[in-house]
Amino acid sequence: MIQLSNIQKSFGKTEVLKGIDLQVNKGDIVSILGPSGSGKTTLLRCINFLEKANEGTIKVDNIALDVKTASKKEITELRKKTAMVFQNYNLFQHKTVLQNITEGLMIVQKKSEKEAIEIAKTMLTKVSLEHKANNYPSALSGGQQQRVGIARALALNPEVILFDEPTSALDPELVGEVLDVIQKIAKEGITMIIVTHEMNFARDISNRVVFMDGGVVVEEGTPSEIFNNPKSDRTKQFLRRLVPEFTYEI
Amino acid sequence: MGSSFEPSLIVESIPKLLSYLHITIEILALSVGLGLLLGILIAMPRLYHIPILKEIVTVYISFIRGTPILIQLFLVFYGLPVVVGLFGIDITRMDPFYFVIVTYTLSNAAAFSEIFRGAITSVDYGQTEAAYSIGLTPLQNFYRIVFPQAFRVAFPNIANASISSLKDTSLAFSIGVMDMMGRGETLISATMHAVEIYISLAIIYYVIVLIFERLFKWIERYLNRYLVKDELSL
Ligand SMILES: Nc1ncnc2c1ncn2[C@@H]1O[C@H](COP(=O)(O)OP(=O)(O)OP(=O)(O)O)[C@@H](O)[C@H]1O
Ligand SMILES: [Mg+2]
Repeated sequence: MIQLSNIQKSFGKTEVLKGIDLQVNKGDIVSILGPSGSGKTTLLRCINFLEKANEGTIKVDNIALDVKTASKKEITELRKKTAMVFQNYNLFQHKTVLQNITEGLMIVQKKSEKEAIEIAKTMLTKVSLEHKANNYPSALSGGQQQRVGIARALALNPEVILFDEPTSALDPELVGEVLDVIQKIAKEGITMIIVTHEMNFARDISNRVVFMDGGVVVEEGTPSEIFNNPKSDRTKQFLRRLVPEFTYEI
Repeated sequence: MGSSFEPSLIVESIPKLLSYLHITIEILALSVGLGLLLGILIAMPRLYHIPILKEIVTVYISFIRGTPILIQLFLVFYGLPVVVGLFGIDITRMDPFYFVIVTYTLSNAAAFSEIFRGAITSVDYGQTEAAYSIGLTPLQNFYRIVFPQAFRVAFPNIANASISSLKDTSLAFSIGVMDMMGRGETLISATMHAVEIYISLAIIYYVIVLIFERLFKWIERYLNRYLVKDELSL
Protein backbone atom coordinates (compact mmCIF):
# COMPACT_ATOMS: atom_id res chain seq x y z
CA MET A 1 0.00 0.00 0.00
CA ILE A 2 1.15 3.53 -0.72
CA GLN A 3 0.09 6.49 1.33
CA LEU A 4 1.03 10.07 0.57
CA SER A 5 0.10 12.71 3.09
CA ASN A 6 0.29 16.44 2.67
CA ILE A 7 2.99 16.42 -0.01
CA GLN A 8 4.18 19.94 -0.69
CA LYS A 9 6.85 20.93 -3.16
CA SER A 10 8.15 24.28 -4.35
CA PHE A 11 10.77 25.12 -6.92
CA GLY A 12 12.14 28.38 -5.62
CA LYS A 13 9.10 30.54 -5.10
CA THR A 14 6.83 28.46 -7.35
CA GLU A 15 4.55 26.23 -5.34
CA VAL A 16 4.05 23.16 -7.51
CA LEU A 17 2.42 20.72 -5.09
CA LYS A 18 0.14 22.21 -2.47
CA GLY A 19 -0.51 19.41 -0.04
CA ILE A 20 -1.37 16.22 -1.89
CA ASP A 21 -2.99 13.26 -0.13
CA LEU A 22 -3.24 10.03 -1.99
CA GLN A 23 -3.78 6.46 -0.97
CA VAL A 24 -3.11 3.62 -3.36
CA ASN A 25 -4.10 0.11 -2.38
CA LYS A 26 -2.36 -3.07 -3.39
CA GLY A 27 -3.34 -3.99 -6.94
CA ASP A 28 -4.72 -0.54 -7.71
CA ILE A 29 -4.10 0.96 -11.09
CA VAL A 30 -4.29 4.69 -10.65
CA SER A 31 -4.16 7.10 -13.56
CA ILE A 32 -3.19 10.68 -12.87
CA LEU A 33 -4.60 13.16 -15.35
CA GLY A 34 -4.32 16.90 -15.51
CA PRO A 35 -3.24 19.83 -17.63
CA SER A 36 0.40 20.50 -18.42
CA GLY A 37 2.21 22.03 -15.46
CA SER A 38 -0.29 20.76 -12.90
CA GLY A 39 2.45 18.88 -11.03
CA LYS A 40 1.81 15.28 -12.11
CA THR A 41 5.41 14.47 -12.91
CA THR A 42 6.62 16.24 -9.80
CA LEU A 43 4.24 14.22 -7.63
CA LEU A 44 5.40 10.96 -9.17
CA ARG A 45 9.05 11.92 -8.70
CA CYS A 46 8.42 12.88 -5.08
CA ILE A 47 7.22 9.34 -4.36
CA ASN A 48 10.66 7.82 -5.05
CA PHE A 49 12.58 10.93 -3.95
CA LEU A 50 13.94 11.80 -7.39
CA GLU A 51 12.47 15.08 -6.26
CA LYS A 52 12.61 15.82 -2.56
CA ALA A 53 9.31 17.21 -1.34
CA ASN A 54 9.47 20.04 1.19
CA GLU A 55 6.76 18.71 3.43
CA GLY A 56 4.75 15.55 3.96
CA THR A 57 5.08 11.85 4.58
CA ILE A 58 5.45 9.00 2.14
CA LYS A 59 4.64 5.45 3.03
CA VAL A 60 5.38 2.53 0.75
CA ASP A 61 4.66 -0.90 2.18
CA ASN A 62 6.34 -0.92 5.61
CA ILE A 63 8.57 2.09 5.02
CA ALA A 64 7.16 5.40 6.18
CA LEU A 65 9.31 8.47 5.73
CA ASP A 66 8.90 12.06 6.71
CA VAL A 67 10.42 13.85 3.72
CA LYS A 68 12.20 16.34 5.94
CA THR A 69 14.05 13.79 8.04
CA ALA A 70 14.53 10.89 5.60
CA SER A 71 18.17 9.77 5.46
CA LYS A 72 19.98 8.70 2.27
CA LYS A 73 19.83 5.13 3.46
CA GLU A 74 16.09 5.22 4.08
CA ILE A 75 15.56 6.78 0.68
CA THR A 76 17.50 3.96 -0.99
CA GLU A 77 15.40 1.43 0.96
CA LEU A 78 12.20 3.09 -0.22
CA ARG A 79 13.47 3.14 -3.80
CA LYS A 80 14.03 -0.59 -3.63
CA LYS A 81 10.28 -0.97 -3.16
CA THR A 82 9.37 1.16 -6.14
CA ALA A 83 10.28 1.20 -9.81
CA MET A 84 9.80 3.80 -12.47
CA VAL A 85 9.18 3.87 -16.19
CA PHE A 86 10.41 7.11 -17.72
CA GLN A 87 9.15 9.18 -20.59
CA ASN A 88 12.58 8.94 -22.26
CA TYR A 89 13.14 5.28 -21.27
CA ASN A 90 16.50 6.09 -19.63
CA LEU A 91 18.00 2.72 -20.41
CA PHE A 92 21.63 2.15 -19.48
CA GLN A 93 23.25 2.73 -22.85
CA HIS A 94 26.39 0.71 -22.19
CA LYS A 95 24.50 -2.37 -21.11
CA THR A 96 22.67 -4.88 -23.23
CA VAL A 97 18.92 -5.27 -22.94
CA LEU A 98 19.46 -8.28 -20.68
CA GLN A 99 22.02 -6.45 -18.53
CA ASN A 100 19.67 -3.51 -18.14
CA ILE A 101 17.27 -5.86 -16.44
CA THR A 102 19.76 -7.93 -14.44
CA GLU A 103 21.48 -4.81 -13.04
CA GLY A 104 18.95 -4.18 -10.28
CA LEU A 105 18.40 -7.89 -9.64
CA MET A 106 22.09 -8.57 -9.06
CA ILE A 107 23.35 -5.33 -7.56
CA VAL A 108 20.36 -4.24 -5.52
CA GLN A 109 18.57 -7.50 -4.79
CA LYS A 110 21.83 -9.51 -4.68
CA LYS A 111 20.44 -12.36 -6.73
CA SER A 112 22.85 -14.78 -8.38
CA GLU A 113 23.69 -14.13 -12.03
CA LYS A 114 21.94 -17.31 -13.04
CA GLU A 115 18.73 -16.41 -11.25
CA ALA A 116 18.86 -12.81 -12.51
CA ILE A 117 19.22 -13.93 -16.12
CA GLU A 118 16.36 -16.34 -15.72
CA ILE A 119 14.08 -13.61 -14.36
CA ALA A 120 15.24 -11.16 -17.02
CA LYS A 121 14.44 -13.62 -19.79
CA THR A 122 10.98 -14.22 -18.38
CA MET A 123 10.37 -10.46 -18.32
CA LEU A 124 11.64 -10.05 -21.87
CA THR A 125 9.23 -12.72 -23.01
CA LYS A 126 6.43 -10.78 -21.34
CA VAL A 127 7.25 -7.70 -23.38
CA SER A 128 7.92 -9.83 -26.49
CA LEU A 129 11.58 -8.87 -26.76
CA GLU A 130 13.34 -12.13 -25.91
CA HIS A 131 15.07 -12.00 -29.31
CA LYS A 132 16.67 -8.63 -28.42
CA ALA A 133 18.30 -9.77 -25.16
CA ASN A 134 21.84 -9.19 -26.38
CA ASN A 135 21.26 -5.96 -28.27
CA TYR A 136 22.26 -2.57 -26.98
CA PRO A 137 19.50 0.03 -26.46
CA SER A 138 20.81 2.17 -29.31
CA ALA A 139 19.86 -0.61 -31.71
CA LEU A 140 16.19 -0.61 -30.62
CA SER A 141 13.19 1.46 -31.66
CA GLY A 142 11.63 3.80 -29.11
CA GLY A 143 8.76 1.40 -28.53
CA GLN A 144 11.15 -1.47 -27.96
CA GLN A 145 13.27 0.61 -25.60
CA GLN A 146 10.23 1.52 -23.57
CA ARG A 147 9.20 -2.12 -23.36
CA VAL A 148 12.67 -2.87 -21.99
CA GLY A 149 12.13 -0.04 -19.51
CA ILE A 150 8.91 -1.73 -18.42
CA ALA A 151 10.62 -5.12 -18.17
CA ARG A 152 13.40 -3.55 -16.08
CA ALA A 153 10.85 -2.13 -13.65
CA LEU A 154 8.73 -5.26 -13.58
CA ALA A 155 11.68 -7.59 -12.93
CA LEU A 156 12.27 -6.02 -9.52
CA ASN A 157 8.82 -7.11 -8.41
CA PRO A 158 8.25 -3.71 -6.75
CA GLU A 159 5.35 -2.67 -4.55
CA VAL A 160 4.46 -0.12 -7.19
CA ILE A 161 5.54 0.87 -10.67
CA LEU A 162 5.44 4.57 -11.43
CA PHE A 163 4.87 5.49 -15.07
CA ASP A 164 5.48 9.04 -16.26
CA GLU A 165 3.88 9.49 -19.65
CA PRO A 166 5.37 6.25 -20.94
CA THR A 167 4.25 6.82 -24.51
CA SER A 168 4.55 10.55 -25.06
CA ALA A 169 8.06 10.41 -26.52
CA LEU A 170 7.05 7.75 -29.02
CA ASP A 171 6.11 8.02 -32.67
CA PRO A 172 2.34 7.53 -32.93
CA GLU A 173 2.66 4.14 -34.61
CA LEU A 174 4.69 2.81 -31.66
CA VAL A 175 2.30 3.90 -28.91
CA GLY A 176 0.04 0.88 -29.30
CA GLU A 177 2.66 -1.77 -28.61
CA VAL A 178 3.68 -0.08 -25.36
CA LEU A 179 0.13 0.47 -24.15
CA ASP A 180 -0.64 -3.18 -24.94
CA VAL A 181 2.27 -4.30 -22.77
CA ILE A 182 1.18 -2.10 -19.88
CA GLN A 183 -2.37 -3.39 -20.22
CA LYS A 184 -1.11 -6.95 -20.15
CA ILE A 185 0.96 -6.55 -16.99
CA ALA A 186 -1.86 -4.60 -15.35
CA LYS A 187 -3.85 -7.82 -15.39
CA GLU A 188 -1.22 -9.49 -13.19
CA GLY A 189 -2.20 -7.45 -10.17
CA ILE A 190 0.83 -5.17 -9.97
CA THR A 191 0.16 -1.83 -8.35
CA MET A 192 0.69 1.00 -10.81
CA ILE A 193 0.48 4.76 -10.83
CA ILE A 194 0.38 6.13 -14.36
CA VAL A 195 0.64 9.72 -15.46
CA THR A 196 -0.76 9.84 -18.96
CA HIS A 197 -2.43 11.98 -21.59
CA GLU A 198 -3.93 8.89 -23.26
CA MET A 199 -7.50 9.27 -22.10
CA ASN A 200 -8.90 6.10 -23.59
CA PHE A 201 -6.07 4.11 -22.18
CA ALA A 202 -6.60 5.63 -18.73
CA ARG A 203 -10.29 4.84 -18.89
CA ASP A 204 -9.69 1.22 -19.92
CA ILE A 205 -6.84 0.32 -17.66
CA SER A 206 -7.38 2.03 -14.34
CA ASN A 207 -9.66 1.30 -11.45
CA ARG A 208 -9.09 4.81 -10.11
CA VAL A 209 -8.52 8.12 -11.81
CA VAL A 210 -7.04 11.17 -10.12
CA PHE A 211 -7.47 14.57 -11.70
CA MET A 212 -4.87 17.18 -10.73
CA ASP A 213 -4.78 20.87 -11.46
CA GLY A 214 -2.63 23.65 -10.04
CA GLY A 215 -0.82 21.39 -7.59
CA VAL A 216 -3.89 19.92 -5.92
CA VAL A 217 -6.01 16.83 -6.44
CA VAL A 218 -9.23 18.31 -7.79
CA GLU A 219 -11.20 15.13 -8.01
CA GLU A 220 -10.75 11.39 -7.88
CA GLY A 221 -12.95 8.41 -8.54
CA THR A 222 -13.57 5.45 -10.76
CA PRO A 223 -13.01 5.94 -14.50
CA SER A 224 -16.72 6.11 -15.08
CA GLU A 225 -17.20 8.68 -12.30
CA ILE A 226 -14.47 10.90 -13.71
CA PHE A 227 -15.10 10.43 -17.41
CA ASN A 228 -18.87 10.13 -17.47
CA ASN A 229 -19.87 12.15 -14.49
CA PRO A 230 -17.19 14.62 -13.43
CA LYS A 231 -18.20 16.87 -10.57
CA SER A 232 -15.73 19.71 -10.79
CA ASP A 233 -15.86 22.33 -13.52
CA ARG A 234 -12.14 22.14 -13.98
CA THR A 235 -12.35 18.42 -14.72
CA LYS A 236 -15.17 18.97 -17.19
CA GLN A 237 -13.26 21.71 -18.94
CA PHE A 238 -10.11 19.59 -19.14
CA LEU A 239 -11.92 16.58 -20.52
CA ARG A 240 -13.88 18.64 -23.03
CA ARG A 241 -10.69 20.11 -24.40
CA LEU A 242 -8.85 16.80 -24.48
CA VAL A 243 -11.55 14.47 -25.69
CA PRO A 244 -13.47 16.33 -28.40
CA GLU A 245 -16.18 13.70 -28.64
CA PHE A 246 -16.44 13.71 -24.89
CA THR A 247 -19.93 14.10 -23.46
CA TYR A 248 -21.14 13.61 -19.94
CA GLU A 249 -24.50 13.16 -18.44
CA ILE A 250 -25.96 16.20 -16.75
CA MET B 1 81.31 16.55 -33.17
CA GLY B 2 83.05 17.35 -36.43
CA SER B 3 83.05 13.73 -37.67
CA SER B 4 81.27 12.86 -40.92
CA PHE B 5 77.73 11.50 -41.07
CA GLU B 6 77.63 7.72 -40.48
CA PRO B 7 74.25 6.16 -41.37
CA SER B 8 75.26 2.75 -39.96
CA LEU B 9 75.45 4.35 -36.52
CA ILE B 10 71.71 5.04 -36.67
CA VAL B 11 70.98 1.33 -36.96
CA GLU B 12 73.67 0.25 -34.51
CA SER B 13 72.53 2.52 -31.71
CA ILE B 14 68.85 1.56 -31.89
CA PRO B 15 69.26 -1.69 -29.88
CA LYS B 16 71.44 0.13 -27.35
CA LEU B 17 68.78 2.77 -26.88
CA LEU B 18 65.98 0.20 -26.80
CA SER B 19 67.57 -1.50 -23.82
CA TYR B 20 66.36 1.56 -21.86
CA LEU B 21 62.89 1.57 -23.36
CA HIS B 22 61.44 -0.13 -20.29
CA ILE B 23 62.30 2.94 -18.19
CA THR B 24 60.33 5.16 -20.54
CA ILE B 25 57.42 2.73 -20.50
CA GLU B 26 57.53 2.45 -16.71
CA ILE B 27 57.41 6.24 -16.34
CA LEU B 28 54.53 6.42 -18.76
CA ALA B 29 52.53 3.53 -17.28
CA LEU B 30 52.92 4.69 -13.69
CA SER B 31 52.24 8.35 -14.37
CA VAL B 32 49.23 7.64 -16.59
CA GLY B 33 47.83 5.02 -14.20
CA LEU B 34 48.28 7.14 -11.08
CA GLY B 35 47.27 10.24 -13.05
CA LEU B 36 43.95 8.60 -13.94
CA LEU B 37 43.19 7.81 -10.31
CA LEU B 38 44.20 11.25 -9.09
CA GLY B 39 42.47 12.87 -12.07
CA ILE B 40 39.14 11.26 -11.19
CA LEU B 41 39.55 12.34 -7.58
CA ILE B 42 40.30 15.96 -8.37
CA ALA B 43 37.45 16.12 -10.88
CA MET B 44 35.03 15.51 -7.99
CA PRO B 45 35.19 18.85 -6.17
CA ARG B 46 34.21 20.73 -9.30
CA LEU B 47 31.60 18.21 -10.40
CA TYR B 48 29.88 18.14 -7.04
CA HIS B 49 30.60 21.74 -6.07
CA ILE B 50 32.54 21.01 -2.91
CA PRO B 51 33.51 24.42 -1.51
CA ILE B 52 37.18 25.29 -0.83
CA LEU B 53 38.43 22.03 -2.43
CA LYS B 54 36.86 23.28 -5.64
CA GLU B 55 38.93 26.46 -5.51
CA ILE B 56 42.09 24.56 -4.65
CA VAL B 57 41.83 22.17 -7.61
CA THR B 58 40.94 25.03 -9.94
CA VAL B 59 44.15 26.84 -9.04
CA TYR B 60 46.13 23.61 -9.25
CA ILE B 61 44.82 22.75 -12.71
CA SER B 62 45.36 26.25 -13.99
CA PHE B 63 48.93 26.26 -12.62
CA ILE B 64 49.79 22.95 -14.28
CA ARG B 65 48.32 24.12 -17.56
CA GLY B 66 50.14 27.41 -17.45
CA THR B 67 53.69 26.20 -16.70
CA PRO B 68 56.13 24.15 -18.80
CA ILE B 69 56.55 20.54 -17.72
CA LEU B 70 60.32 21.01 -17.50
CA ILE B 71 59.88 23.70 -14.87
CA GLN B 72 57.39 21.51 -13.00
CA LEU B 73 59.99 18.75 -13.06
CA PHE B 74 62.64 21.01 -11.53
CA LEU B 75 60.19 22.44 -9.02
CA VAL B 76 59.34 18.95 -7.80
CA PHE B 77 62.95 17.77 -7.91
CA TYR B 78 64.31 20.70 -5.91
CA GLY B 79 61.16 21.78 -4.09
CA LEU B 80 59.70 18.51 -2.82
CA PRO B 81 62.75 17.60 -0.66
CA VAL B 82 62.55 21.04 0.94
CA VAL B 83 58.83 20.69 1.70
CA VAL B 84 59.17 17.11 2.96
CA GLY B 85 62.26 18.17 4.89
CA LEU B 86 60.09 20.49 6.98
CA PHE B 87 58.55 17.32 8.41
CA GLY B 88 61.97 15.91 9.18
CA ILE B 89 62.08 13.45 6.31
CA ASP B 90 65.13 13.39 4.12
CA ILE B 91 64.46 12.46 0.50
CA THR B 92 67.41 14.25 -1.06
CA ARG B 93 69.04 10.93 -1.88
CA MET B 94 65.92 9.38 -3.35
CA ASP B 95 66.17 7.97 -6.88
CA PRO B 96 65.22 10.80 -9.31
CA PHE B 97 62.95 8.28 -11.03
CA TYR B 98 60.39 8.88 -8.26
CA PHE B 99 60.47 12.64 -8.75
CA VAL B 100 59.74 12.06 -12.39
CA ILE B 101 56.77 9.85 -11.49
CA VAL B 102 55.44 12.46 -9.07
CA THR B 103 55.75 15.28 -11.60
CA TYR B 104 54.16 13.43 -14.51
CA THR B 105 51.41 12.07 -12.30
CA LEU B 106 50.55 15.57 -11.09
CA SER B 107 50.68 16.90 -14.62
CA ASN B 108 48.62 14.08 -16.15
CA ALA B 109 46.07 14.24 -13.33
CA ALA B 110 45.36 17.89 -14.10
CA ALA B 111 44.79 17.17 -17.79
CA PHE B 112 42.80 14.00 -17.13
CA SER B 113 40.56 15.60 -14.52
CA GLU B 114 39.41 18.24 -16.98
CA ILE B 115 38.76 15.54 -19.58
CA PHE B 116 36.81 13.47 -17.05
CA ARG B 117 34.81 16.41 -15.84
CA GLY B 118 33.52 17.10 -19.33
CA ALA B 119 32.90 13.41 -19.99
CA ILE B 120 30.99 12.80 -16.77
CA THR B 121 28.78 15.81 -17.41
CA SER B 122 28.05 14.46 -20.88
CA VAL B 123 26.36 11.29 -19.55
CA ASP B 124 22.62 11.86 -19.64
CA TYR B 125 21.28 12.49 -16.12
CA GLY B 126 18.20 10.40 -16.92
CA GLN B 127 20.30 7.27 -16.55
CA THR B 128 21.34 8.35 -13.08
CA GLU B 129 17.68 8.80 -12.20
CA ALA B 130 16.94 5.35 -13.60
CA ALA B 131 19.77 3.92 -11.50
CA TYR B 132 18.38 5.57 -8.37
CA SER B 133 14.87 4.43 -9.24
CA ILE B 134 15.92 0.79 -9.18
CA GLY B 135 17.69 1.27 -5.85
CA LEU B 136 21.36 1.77 -6.75
CA THR B 137 23.27 3.97 -4.32
CA PRO B 138 25.01 7.12 -5.63
CA LEU B 139 28.36 5.35 -5.45
CA GLN B 140 27.08 2.30 -7.33
CA ASN B 141 25.54 4.59 -9.89
CA PHE B 142 28.85 6.34 -10.34
CA TYR B 143 31.04 3.32 -10.93
CA ARG B 144 28.53 1.07 -12.67
CA ILE B 145 26.53 3.48 -14.82
CA VAL B 146 28.11 6.92 -15.19
CA PHE B 147 31.82 6.22 -15.12
CA PRO B 148 31.96 3.45 -17.74
CA GLN B 149 30.16 5.70 -20.20
CA ALA B 150 32.18 8.77 -19.26
CA PHE B 151 35.34 6.74 -19.77
CA ARG B 152 34.31 5.96 -23.32
CA VAL B 153 33.76 9.66 -24.02
CA ALA B 154 37.02 10.59 -22.32
CA PHE B 155 39.14 7.88 -23.84
CA PRO B 156 40.24 9.51 -27.13
CA ASN B 157 41.35 12.64 -25.26
CA ILE B 158 43.07 10.60 -22.59
CA ALA B 159 44.86 8.69 -25.32
CA ASN B 160 46.06 11.93 -26.90
CA ALA B 161 47.19 13.34 -23.60
CA SER B 162 49.04 10.11 -22.84
CA ILE B 163 50.87 10.27 -26.14
CA SER B 164 51.98 13.83 -25.38
CA SER B 165 53.06 12.60 -22.00
CA LEU B 166 55.08 9.83 -23.63
CA LYS B 167 57.03 12.41 -25.57
CA ASP B 168 57.47 14.51 -22.43
CA THR B 169 59.13 11.58 -20.65
CA SER B 170 62.22 12.39 -22.71
CA LEU B 171 62.76 15.28 -20.29
CA ALA B 172 63.31 12.93 -17.36
CA PHE B 173 67.00 12.86 -18.17
CA SER B 174 67.23 16.52 -17.15
CA ILE B 175 67.12 15.45 -13.51
CA GLY B 176 69.36 12.47 -14.08
CA VAL B 177 67.04 9.57 -14.84
CA MET B 178 68.76 7.14 -17.17
CA ASP B 179 66.10 6.50 -19.80
CA MET B 180 66.44 6.22 -23.59
CA MET B 181 67.20 9.90 -23.82
CA GLY B 182 69.87 9.59 -21.16
CA ARG B 183 71.41 6.63 -22.91
CA GLY B 184 71.36 8.67 -26.12
CA GLU B 185 73.31 11.48 -24.47
CA THR B 186 76.00 9.05 -23.29
CA LEU B 187 76.19 7.51 -26.76
CA ILE B 188 76.69 10.96 -28.22
CA SER B 189 79.58 11.65 -25.85
CA ALA B 190 81.13 8.30 -26.67
CA THR B 191 80.76 8.45 -30.47
CA MET B 192 80.77 12.21 -31.06
CA HIS B 193 77.95 11.64 -33.54
CA ALA B 194 74.93 13.61 -32.34
CA VAL B 195 72.79 13.68 -35.47
CA GLU B 196 72.80 9.92 -35.98
CA ILE B 197 71.84 9.26 -32.37
CA TYR B 198 69.06 11.84 -32.45
CA ILE B 199 67.74 10.26 -35.63
CA SER B 200 67.69 6.88 -33.89
CA LEU B 201 65.85 8.41 -30.94
CA ALA B 202 63.36 10.11 -33.23
CA ILE B 203 62.69 6.83 -35.04
CA ILE B 204 62.15 4.97 -31.76
CA TYR B 205 59.79 7.59 -30.28
CA TYR B 206 57.89 7.84 -33.53
CA VAL B 207 57.42 4.08 -33.84
CA ILE B 208 56.29 3.81 -30.21
CA VAL B 209 53.79 6.60 -30.73
CA LEU B 210 52.48 4.83 -33.84
CA ILE B 211 52.12 1.58 -31.90
CA PHE B 212 50.28 3.34 -29.09
CA GLU B 213 47.98 5.11 -31.53
CA ARG B 214 47.10 1.79 -33.11
CA LEU B 215 46.51 0.23 -29.70
CA PHE B 216 44.32 3.13 -28.57
CA LYS B 217 42.22 3.01 -31.74
CA TRP B 218 41.65 -0.64 -31.06
CA ILE B 219 40.52 0.01 -27.48
CA GLU B 220 38.35 2.86 -28.70
CA ARG B 221 36.54 0.55 -31.07
CA TYR B 222 35.85 -1.83 -28.21
CA LEU B 223 34.60 0.98 -25.96
CA ASN B 224 32.25 2.19 -28.69
CA ARG B 225 30.70 -1.22 -29.20
CA TYR B 226 27.30 -0.16 -27.85
CA LEU B 227 26.86 2.82 -30.14
CA VAL B 228 25.02 2.66 -33.41
CA LYS B 229 26.97 3.59 -36.52
CA ASP B 230 25.60 7.08 -37.08
CA GLU B 231 26.34 8.03 -33.49
CA LEU B 232 29.94 7.05 -34.10
CA SER B 233 30.40 9.52 -36.89
CA LEU B 234 29.42 12.41 -34.61
N1 LIG C 1 13.25 21.16 -11.71
C1 LIG C 1 12.35 22.16 -11.79
N2 LIG C 1 12.71 23.43 -11.51
C2 LIG C 1 11.82 24.43 -11.56
N3 LIG C 1 10.54 24.28 -11.88
C3 LIG C 1 10.10 23.06 -12.16
C4 LIG C 1 10.98 21.93 -12.13
N4 LIG C 1 10.26 20.83 -12.45
C5 LIG C 1 9.01 21.25 -12.67
N5 LIG C 1 8.90 22.58 -12.50
C6 LIG C 1 7.66 23.37 -12.63
O1 LIG C 1 6.69 22.75 -11.84
C7 LIG C 1 5.43 22.79 -12.49
C8 LIG C 1 4.85 21.39 -12.57
O2 LIG C 1 5.67 20.61 -13.41
P1 LIG C 1 5.38 19.09 -13.74
O3 LIG C 1 6.45 18.64 -14.63
O4 LIG C 1 5.18 18.35 -12.47
O5 LIG C 1 4.01 19.17 -14.50
P2 LIG C 1 3.21 18.05 -15.26
O6 LIG C 1 1.86 18.02 -14.68
O7 LIG C 1 3.96 16.79 -15.26
O8 LIG C 1 3.13 18.65 -16.73
P3 LIG C 1 3.20 17.91 -18.16
O9 LIG C 1 1.84 17.36 -18.42
O10 LIG C 1 3.55 19.01 -19.10
O11 LIG C 1 4.25 16.86 -18.06
C9 LIG C 1 5.66 23.44 -13.84
O12 LIG C 1 5.24 24.78 -13.73
C10 LIG C 1 7.12 23.35 -14.04
O13 LIG C 1 7.60 24.44 -14.78
MG1 LIG D 1 4.94 15.62 -16.76
